[in-house]
Amino acid sequence: MRRFIIISLLSAMTLPTLACIWGELTNPYLFSMYRRTEFKERVEKICNDNWQAYLGTSEEYFWFNADDVIKAAQHKSDGLMVSYVKNLQKYLKCVDVEQSKQYEWNYPSKEEIAAQQRDLQAIRTYALGNTKTKLRSQHALLYMRCNMMLGRHQENINYWEQTASQLIETVYKDMMQNIYAGALYKTGQEEKAGELFAEMGDYQSLMTQFYRKRSFQAIRQHYLKNPNSKVLPFLLQDFVNNCQEVIDANGGEWFNGKLFVRRITEQEATQMRQFCETVVREGKTETPIMWKSAKAWLEYLYGHQKQATSDILEASKLDGTDRMKDCARVLMLFITANQASDSEAFDNYLADELAWIKEMEKKEEDGYFYRAKTRLSHQALMKHYQNNTDKLIALMDVTNNYHYTEYIDTMRVSQLEKYFAYTNTPAKTNLDKFLKANLKIDEKAMTDLIGTKYLRLCQWDKAIKWLAYVPASFYNEAGYRMYVLLRKVSVEPWITRQWIKDADVDRAETYNWTVSENPKLLFAKEMQMMEGTINVLSGKALCQRCYNLATYYAQANFTGDCWWLMRDGKSVCDTLRVNEVDLRAKTKELLQKASQTTDIALKEKALFALSYAELYKEEQRWFTREWNNETYEYDRKTVSNTQQYSAFAALANFEKQNATHTSQYVSRCDEYIQFRKVFH
Amino acid sequence: MSLLLCLLIAGCSEREELSESNAVYYWRTDFRLDSTEWAFFQRNHINKVYCRYFDVVINEEGAEPRPNATISFSSTLPDSIELIPTIYITEDCMHQKHQGLAEKIVKRIRQMNETNDIKPVSEIQIDCDYTSKSKKVYYQFLEEVKQAWGQTLSTTIRLHQLSMEAPPVDYGVLMIYNTGDPKKWEERNPILDIRDVQPYLKRLDSYPLPLAAAYPVYQWVRTIRNIRIEHTVGADEILRVKEAVEKKRSNLKHAIITYHLDKDNINRYKPETYEKIYHH
Repeated sequence: MRRFIIISLLSAMTLPTLACIWGELTNPYLFSMYRRTEFKERVEKICNDNWQAYLGTSEEYFWFNADDVIKAAQHKSDGLMVSYVKNLQKYLKCVDVEQSKQYEWNYPSKEEIAAQQRDLQAIRTYALGNTKTKLRSQHALLYMRCNMMLGRHQENINYWEQTASQLIETVYKDMMQNIYAGALYKTGQEEKAGELFAEMGDYQSLMTQFYRKRSFQAIRQHYLKNPNSKVLPFLLQDFVNNCQEVIDANGGEWFNGKLFVRRITEQEATQMRQFCETVVREGKTETPIMWKSAKAWLEYLYGHQKQATSDILEASKLDGTDRMKDCARVLMLFITANQASDSEAFDNYLADELAWIKEMEKKEEDGYFYRAKTRLSHQALMKHYQNNTDKLIALMDVTNNYHYTEYIDTMRVSQLEKYFAYTNTPAKTNLDKFLKANLKIDEKAMTDLIGTKYLRLCQWDKAIKWLAYVPASFYNEAGYRMYVLLRKVSVEPWITRQWIKDADVDRAETYNWTVSENPKLLFAKEMQMMEGTINVLSGKALCQRCYNLATYYAQANFTGDCWWLMRDGKSVCDTLRVNEVDLRAKTKELLQKASQTTDIALKEKALFALSYAELYKEEQRWFTREWNNETYEYDRKTVSNTQQYSAFAALANFEKQNATHTSQYVSRCDEYIQFRKVFH
Repeated sequence: MSLLLCLLIAGCSEREELSESNAVYYWRTDFRLDSTEWAFFQRNHINKVYCRYFDVVINEEGAEPRPNATISFSSTLPDSIELIPTIYITEDCMHQKHQGLAEKIVKRIRQMNETNDIKPVSEIQIDCDYTSKSKKVYYQFLEEVKQAWGQTLSTTIRLHQLSMEAPPVDYGVLMIYNTGDPKKWEERNPILDIRDVQPYLKRLDSYPLPLAAAYPVYQWVRTIRNIRIEHTVGADEILRVKEAVEKKRSNLKHAIITYHLDKDNINRYKPETYEKIYHH
């Protein structure tokens, strides 16, 4: 029965949609005067509720089933309903023929299409004959659906205007009106169709109809014909949001390099600003708040912030729908937040507005307030509170700022400790009260993060202090759990890479392996012990300790297999970040010390480790790859003045002197073999 | 077959190659050509249209292949232009053998032609991004299609498929697009970048099938992390890649296809660019 939904929608929706030409734009638009009510979802829900009521069931009704309804109607001796549903079923079979063109192996033959047309005619006649019964609305809808399928659009127009529009208000009447609007569109009466689509919240049909009529001139013409056209909120909103796209794409503020739906030139935007002013002055519009707010937002987008402030203040006093007033209030907050100085007055204003947005988020189902909050957080609040770290982080948390996780992950540990303390102190101001009541802090995660930040600084004692509070179970919930279970920090990465195989994962899952001890705490303790006792060592033991420590550092580095000790995730684009020690440099320093040993085997290992590619940045490697436009190939060029080249050279010289003792991990190393070809 | 293929001497080896043609892929769901597209046909001497008839996808239960997004016909082509029904099959349909699938597809193509008064066609094409996992089933499926169809059968060849043995068809269309990693769109254009084509060039000359070459003229719009991104290939890049592939296999200049026909795609490039892509 799932297919019925598709069929029923096809039966209800009268215009083809422009799938793939525009997608739902998820980037947060602040200018949203036209509320999308999603016509098709609304009518579908009501129809299902009606069937549920007829069947007398308490279970929510999702899929229409003709046989069930017929059975129930027969039980009630409701002959009219039986004949209606039987004909509806027959109609749906005709729709099925259309569907089979799309989705079935049996593509309909000419004969089947002819039969479908005959059936539609018969159902049409039946339906028309029952439009004076107690199920008149349902039969009228069936009649109009048949006309739509048969392409008899003019008859639908006549029928709606003369008969169906007089029927009582029902969901069937809404659907008929939608078919009527589609018929108007298909017979060239686009203006009238647009008004109806706008009125019933059929956004998809509106976009189909006006896709190529969204320029300033087109909107102006539309206004001149009818200053209170219901399509204008849709058109003006689309125009303003496209301006926002252009401004965003020009970069600087947030998403650099964003591309746009319809490029609007600054000249066109200026014309629109002037036109908005004219519209408000003329006084013909019933919604001056919309035009004045549009002007304010355009002024803001194009850098005229003072004008924007004055316009939005003026707009908030003008008439319009509730949605328009809400939207103007959001714009006012955004524009103010970007210009107001840091003050308690602004904090109080913000606290009130954020509380209001939070309430509105619950009421409005179209997600406008969530999106508005997102943009406000990223583009206004981060800038406004850049010098007040505690409030900034709390605001990022409560507004679901996309950068929150990265921000707290890379900030200085002392600041994060201070913030953590702030969250646990009583609130004093209104803003503090709002923030602390809405924080979503996970104390274990925060403690782990602070401990991890100390790991990144190699401050083992402080790391131990924090990590001691994090139970092992926390790491069983971590995304990197499998790496914790399957990798060891003591394995030399230059000799063995710990690639994870499917079989290992399967085994871990099958036997339900769990992390039984806090792995970061263990690591910190081991490092503390190894470094704390290094001063008492000398000679071979000291070199061996240096080598072991180098192994640990290399593993814990972001290029190591145990990257999860310091980071939550891994990517090929990772680099050394602020507020962390360069573990690669530490590794190399320790390996240099280890390579001073008189133990031949350890020396070979240390020299080999020093040539390990993961210890070097791209520009420190022993060769470069350059694209050759003539051969369409990469050319490999040796660079002899790099760190890795020197390391490989030292290894090669060592092996020359100890030719009979070369270990397999050296002689079989691909990169070493390549190096030897160019090194003499 | 004799009309389609002619014998050419390519380097030191004898290989049947395709005769000269200028073609387009038609990838929309309603076959309706507007004046811009008709003018494009005339200007570029288009003599073949590879027209996507429908897709074949695994059904919602994940078990059986079914047709999807079937085309409807609102325009017809003149006799001078050959129509080649093209079927796109998702790779997961080829994870296991589906009894009778080849016959169902061929029957559906024939029925569509009859119902919509399409003039007789002599060739069909199957498009599938087969992998080493699905290759065996796919090649067997192609054998069955060939048997059921009885006339010319072609298939698309993606660059990564050049490393596999050739499929059992009369010729292949080398798809020279979608070459990059979509996740690394900030570094390289995922539609086409010569650096991504380069590793495959060495396989071109020895590939045993006759090949046509298909180049991208489309735009790819997608939303990444809430950002609307439009990918478009520059004309220079298309021509640079064309030069590179023809340098490695000169007869790739015989049969040229662009993907795909659309007014916006036509207007995206200067007429001179299309003149350089096609035979003029």
